[in-house]
Amino acid sequence: MKQIKTAGGQDLREMFNAATTWLEKSVSDIDALNVFPVPDGDTGTNMLLTMRSAIDEAYLAPDHSASAVAQSLAKGALMGARGNSGVILSQIWSGLAQGMADKEAFSGKDLAEALDKAAQKAYQGLSNPVEGTILTVIKQATAAAQKQADSDESDLLSVMEAAVEAAAQAVADTPTLLPVLKEAGVVDAGGQGLYTILEGALYYLRGEIELIQLRKPIMVASSIPLPSRIQQTFQSEVPYGYCTEFIVKGKELSVDKVRVKLQKKGESLIVVGDDATVRVHIHTLDPGNVIHYATSLGTLHKVSMRNMDEQLQDFMEMQKERMPSVDMAIVAVVSGDGLAEVFSSLGVAIVVSGGQTMNPSTKDILQAVESVSADKVIILPNNKNIVLTANQVHSLTKKSVKVVPAKTIPQGVAALLAFDYEADFDENAKIMGKALSTVRSVEITRAVRSTKLGGLEIKKKQAIGLLDDDLVAVGDSIPDCLHQVLERIDMDEAEVVTIYYGADIQLTDAEKVSASIREKYPHMQVEIVNGGQPHYDYIVSIE
Amino acid sequence: MTIKIVTDSTADISPQIARELGITVVPVYVRFGDKMYRDGVEIGWDEFYERLTKGSVHPSTSQPMPSDFADVYSKLSKEADAIVSIHVSKKMSGTYNSALQGREMAGVSSRVQVIDSLVVSMGLGLITMMAARLAKAGESLQTVLSEVKQAIPNIRVIGVFDTLKYLALGGRIGKARALVGGLLHVKPMITMRDGELVPAGLARTRAMAVERLVQMVKTTFNVQEVGIVHSTTPDEAYSLKERIGSIVSEELIHIARLGPALGVHAGPGTLILALRKSVEPVGVGNP
Repeated sequence: MKQIKTAGGQDLREMFNAATTWLEKSVSDIDALNVFPVPDGDTGTNMLLTMRSAIDEAYLAPDHSASAVAQSLAKGALMGARGNSGVILSQIWSGLAQGMADKEAFSGKDLAEALDKAAQKAYQGLSNPVEGTILTVIKQATAAAQKQADSDESDLLSVMEAAVEAAAQAVADTPTLLPVLKEAGVVDAGGQGLYTILEGALYYLRGEIELIQLRKPIMVASSIPLPSRIQQTFQSEVPYGYCTEFIVKGKELSVDKVRVKLQKKGESLIVVGDDATVRVHIHTLDPGNVIHYATSLGTLHKVSMRNMDEQLQDFMEMQKERMPSVDMAIVAVVSGDGLAEVFSSLGVAIVVSGGQTMNPSTKDILQAVESVSADKVIILPNNKNIVLTANQVHSLTKKSVKVVPAKTIPQGVAALLAFDYEADFDENAKIMGKALSTVRSVEITRAVRSTKLGGLEIKKKQAIGLLDDDLVAVGDSIPDCLHQVLERIDMDEAEVVTIYYGADIQLTDAEKVSASIREKYPHMQVEIVNGGQPHYDYIVSIE
Repeated sequence: MTIKIVTDSTADISPQIARELGITVVPVYVRFGDKMYRDGVEIGWDEFYERLTKGSVHPSTSQPMPSDFADVYSKLSKEADAIVSIHVSKKMSGTYNSALQGREMAGVSSRVQVIDSLVVSMGLGLITMMAARLAKAGESLQTVLSEVKQAIPNIRVIGVFDTLKYLALGGRIGKARALVGGLLHVKPMITMRDGELVPAGLARTRAMAVERLVQMVKTTFNVQEVGIVHSTTPDEAYSLKERIGSIVSEELIHIARLGPALGVHAGPGTLILALRKSVEPVGVGNP
């Protein structure tokens, strides 16, 4: 087993020099992930520029001790920091330098301690730390590094490996922590950047410089399935203003005082530094005001102001180009969070909310059709009453639109599963249309009033059962009604029963229903899904 | 003229076939934490899948080093006039580049042809086996190369996955990312186009997915040779062989185990079907 006990200043510099090269290769990929705090698509670039400035300074270090090189890296990072993630990165460096103070070389344990300082520093710089970002990634990496450092067999390499592995997991988890990432269908850009840097450093430590030359960093995949809805997310009317950055040099400056003073002047405020040099990053609508205050403190350096709304426009263009080059997209009408997730996970580009008793308007569906990146759009209405609405859309748009007339949720799912990646638009509409008849749909709900329908006497609030949209059963209990409907189906021919239980049903009840179906039809595979749909207590698909 | 055929361990060629046909297989590295193994040489398959599913460390892979190729090329060039080195799609792995570098390191560039197969697993395996048979039969380098080049676009590879978790963990999911399946236990199917993994669709159950593999063999004209590769389900592989045995003669169907190099990314419960169809359309050309 390869072991590395300690590394000195030269190794520290070369490690992160290699890491910067590694980062450089993924700058455009990281830029494309950037949606938080402002989707301006420059995170990768900013982190790279910050790292470059740090490395340049590291070559000017007074000696080759780890302490001196780390100090220089921190100084260079602070001077060259750009953007939110750049400034946070510079804080990480500042913490690492503190942790390595007075050290000729550093061990695995030293690295873990320095990372801890770095994580603390990173959080301190922000007035309002948000999880699911680079902060969470440094925190998790640190925790793993410390755990490894405490074990008996720890060496520098194993500590770094533990940190990198935890960083990857933390990046994958960012969409679970930060809703805007989940909506946009991406992992956090700054977190990915930090992971890439750590990974590059690890390759250097392992002696795998060749890998850095030949390969390209891989973007971490999210730990939860993400819909690709990037286009929708940014239709915000709120202006983002100007990303304003500068360094103030003066005497007896107070980082805390500056932070308090600027707190209300904008968003994404970061104030870091010491009593002689303070770096400020803020997104503000009135940069003049901020600059005016800053000039009263001392001299200004490296002043930068960027119009973020303009950047956003460029970013949107870039995203459009980067969208997968599918010429076809599917829009589906679904209600219930669980069902929406099912449809998204099966490849639907946009889910329009709606269903029984809450039909969407033609305009709602049209908007979804217009906002997908493809010119050919297939609509799945998933409800009899919405088929007509969906049919109106084609005359209102320049895009080619086809409606696959799914009248129930199970039909919609069957149509999606039949989608053929090799087939063209017309063919797919046909294939999906054909698939509608491969599934039987059972829906159980409650009667809203007493009535007589299809020869059945129904009392208000009784359970009623529909088979392929026709009322066929009425019962006093929901399970009883469901079984009545199932008896009308030739279950010998079927293989899978999928039970989507509604918003008013508890999992335990759904499990009881599922068990009773398994008992009666032992040859079938039964799955339970939390559909979360209103109105229908159960929607059951039989395939 | 003596021609030697080289491939990498992602071809999933069994040691027995490699020996019979004289194919040199350069192993890919599999890494668990800080321990590095050479695929098929230093880590066995059962042990590998056991650790993949139960171990705490998720393994990763790295391509063979240029020096690994240089060693192989230097050694083989002593006994052969030419070397044809056929590898996993360069869009999926750095192996191809590593082979090019190895060729230079060994100083035998003029005698080594490095070819990107655009596929992986038995897709690559079938091309390599065909090349090795031609080489063994004493065909010229020109014939071997032109046959290989014609075979590449006539390879189909399609896989059924139990989960895309492992592909996602390895970051190899590429354009097939659209298939996540999510809440339903659907079985994702992935194929290869232009050297990349692309979605082939979703099947509601495993049985329906296997049925689609059978259909693919049925609907492809003039299938020459088939590879069935499984990671942990030998029975399923043998029953698939039986089912297509009526379409393709049995000695042309090879069953192989998905080696660790790909197993890392595919996971347990993966079933891959690779087929090579004839270059000529049916009814055209001489038999």
